[in-house]
Amino acid sequence: MSQDDDKSMEVDLGEFLEFYLLDSSEQIERLGAGLLQLEKEGGNIGLINDLFRSAHSLKGASGTMGFTPIVAMTHAAEDLLDRLRQGKIEVSLEMIDILLSVTDRVKAMLSQVEQHQEISVGFEDLVSSMKALLNGEKPAEQANQHTVEEREATLDEFVPLDFCLDQSESAKLNNAHMMGHGVYQVDVKLAPNTLMKAVRAVMATQRLEGMGTVIKLLPNVEDLEVGDAEGFSLLVLCDEPVEEIQRELLEVSELVEVVIHSYLDGEGIVEETGVDATRLVEAPALEPDMIKPIVHQKITVVPKAAVPVSTTAVTEAVVGESNTQVHTIRVDTVRMDNLINLVGEMVITRTRLVQIGLDLKAQYQMDGMVTHLNEANVYLGRLMNDLQESVMRLRMVAIGTVFSRFPRLVRDLAKKTGKEIELVLKGEDTELDKTVVEVIGDPLMHLIRNSVDHGIESPEERRASGKPELGTITLDAYHEGNHIAISISDDGAGLDLAKIRSIAVSKGLIGEKEELSESDISNLIFLPGFSTAEKVTDISGRGVGMDVVKKALNNLGGIVDITTRKGKGTTFTIRLPLTLAIIQALLVEVGEEVYAVPITSVLETLLVDRVNIKTVGGLPMVQLRGNTLPLISLQEKFDLPTPETTNSEVFVVVVGFGDKALGLIVDELRGQQEVVIKSLGDFLSNLPGIAGATILGDGKVTLILDIGSLIQDFLVTKKN
Amino acid sequence: MAEQQLVTFSLGSEEFGVDIMRVQEIIRIPPITRVPKAPTYVEGVINLRGNVIPVISLRSRFGMDRVEETDLSRIIVLQVQTKVFGIRVDAVTEVLRLDSESIEPPPPIALGMDSQFIRGVGKIGERLLILLELDRIMGGE
Repeated sequence: MSQDDDKSMEVDLGEFLEFYLLDSSEQIERLGAGLLQLEKEGGNIGLINDLFRSAHSLKGASGTMGFTPIVAMTHAAEDLLDRLRQGKIEVSLEMIDILLSVTDRVKAMLSQVEQHQEISVGFEDLVSSMKALLNGEKPAEQANQHTVEEREATLDEFVPLDFCLDQSESAKLNNAHMMGHGVYQVDVKLAPNTLMKAVRAVMATQRLEGMGTVIKLLPNVEDLEVGDAEGFSLLVLCDEPVEEIQRELLEVSELVEVVIHSYLDGEGIVEETGVDATRLVEAPALEPDMIKPIVHQKITVVPKAAVPVSTTAVTEAVVGESNTQVHTIRVDTVRMDNLINLVGEMVITRTRLVQIGLDLKAQYQMDGMVTHLNEANVYLGRLMNDLQESVMRLRMVAIGTVFSRFPRLVRDLAKKTGKEIELVLKGEDTELDKTVVEVIGDPLMHLIRNSVDHGIESPEERRASGKPELGTITLDAYHEGNHIAISISDDGAGLDLAKIRSIAVSKGLIGEKEELSESDISNLIFLPGFSTAEKVTDISGRGVGMDVVKKALNNLGGIVDITTRKGKGTTFTIRLPLTLAIIQALLVEVGEEVYAVPITSVLETLLVDRVNIKTVGGLPMVQLRGNTLPLISLQEKFDLPTPETTNSEVFVVVVGFGDKALGLIVDELRGQQEVVIKSLGDFLSNLPGIAGATILGDGKVTLILDIGSLIQDFLVTKKN
Repeated sequence: MAEQQLVTFSLGSEEFGVDIMRVQEIIRIPPITRVPKAPTYVEGVINLRGNVIPVISLRSRFGMDRVEETDLSRIIVLQVQTKVFGIRVDAVTEVLRLDSESIEPPPPIALGMDSQFIRGVGKIGERLLILLELDRIMGGE
């Protein structure tokens, strides 16, 4: 192959690589989820069919892309599922475990592919385990024992290849036999994904020519180049010892295995099996029984037959794909974000147009053109609303995509801790902004780990307290007003409030005499430097505390709350805004500054006489329908200059997040407006109380308040 | 011999220079929105054609007194790595070329200002030009 050919092939690959990666990771997710369902529900033919299809399309796609290790694994998995589908074998825990490991390995391989690395993840052990299962055996736990037997078996079964010799070649062979020269069939196995296989064959031939005569190479160089053979065979005349031949060949890179047999017109004897030791280290799973397909099969063009992907399979997969994917298209997120930015700019421009229209109206009240302009503005406003809503909907993703990875997590963690836990998923269809979905995974995972580790008790403890041994963790997502709520509840022992309190006291987080409500005590676990885990486990005690979870959620404009009942369980509830890009905001004035308060957080606005503001424990409060509402002054909070004149009345914007409410003291209300959230950039990203910035119709930058952090901040100050 | 193009500007009686490759544009002072709780040297944020960018007051960064805005006041918009920000200066003076040979390391006692912000001192005849270390201007103390 010339250099140019090689390049063009890489380019072709790159074009489809992204699509392949996307699709494959989806199939893998589907496989993983399906397997867990299979484990739970047992052999359900529809499910097995789905699994089979996923494995099949994965195999097909990987074959097209030339990722042989993935093909090998998915092929074996497909075989297994096919057998399962036909009812020839039963679902077993071992099988699920092995298939799950297959999904893990493929994931690892895909990530290598994504990083443009050569696939180096081993796979042969899983393939042979799957083959063993296929034959109704136990998976080869002691692979060594197996291979010894296998090797003995191959000894009897070695059938020399028919090299299809022509006359002169046969003559050479006969001559060699007569002269008593050694005649060997050398079977060479190439490393998976070897590029330029023909070159390897030529190199091998050259080396052997140095020691003897190569009569024939199978398959020939042309076939090797275009086909997807895993190796090749050589017919060699040579008087050197086989060890020498082997050593020589293994020096050629990418040749991982060399098996040499004496070639005596149909009577073959295994002389030596050589495996490249260094290769073995890289791919520990390279068991000699992988030679089987090459050695056993009595087919002329052996290496081709040994490759487990056929062209029909590939076409089928492609056809199947197009049938199911008609309703959706994939769009690069960058393009979508761009679209959303443009819509954002349009919203700002429209606000300016409306402003200009109003100004014109004030100036030329009687002019019909101005009226027309304002009518057009109103209509434009409606269109913009629709456009904006449609665009925002593009970004909405069902939270199920995040949830889907947790059943596996819980299963593995439960196994590790010896607990029996069932994860119940609810509200997977609940949609929220893609940016939220992308980042919510880690905090959720942490909370789930926490529930498994600290929430659910061991089966013995559960039995002792009269509960079913099977613990339940419920993950639920639902809309709550303009927020989305995600709850993680377990039916475990509940938080040990007394212990939490004493730890908080001993760590100096609270005073010894401090009076705290139960919910205040539960919330102590979110303070930095708090960890109740007596022993650090690898499940939740990774040095990442609950404070990190809380911080991550706060950054998203969300809050987290705990309710717990001793002996009954604990529920973490996360509340998040639905979208992060464009919001309705109430503009308020404080001194000379204007701030935007997200309307979703605003409960009501009040006009309060200053005399009605009482100070309780150094904090201003106001009575609101029989309840005390704590207040904060934005002017003090943000260190703004004290105004020279004060009105006798102030405006209070009552904001709430979850079940907490707080009043913000402001000077003036400016009205409601749609604003596009812009980031303040890396430099200013973590300012307390500020969620971002926006640009108003007059081109001025206005800061958007972060109500969640203001409230949490307030609660912390209250505690101190 | 390497040569650098610099944009020079003044703060009070001192003259400074920044690498022209880092300068995105030079603008008049637009309305600046104060950012509460931000570091004191951050004057605020401005709207630069739809993007919100922070503005640093170099006077405050270098511990100099505040001055009133004049007709000559400008914001130099810089791009350092991926970050875009503005520095507020008293006046932009000129664009000039400087041999790297005429640049000396910052003196240990640096002209009454924090030496970590200084990359070197350029000499043009009698004039002394303080070259800024832009990576340090924005960011931790």
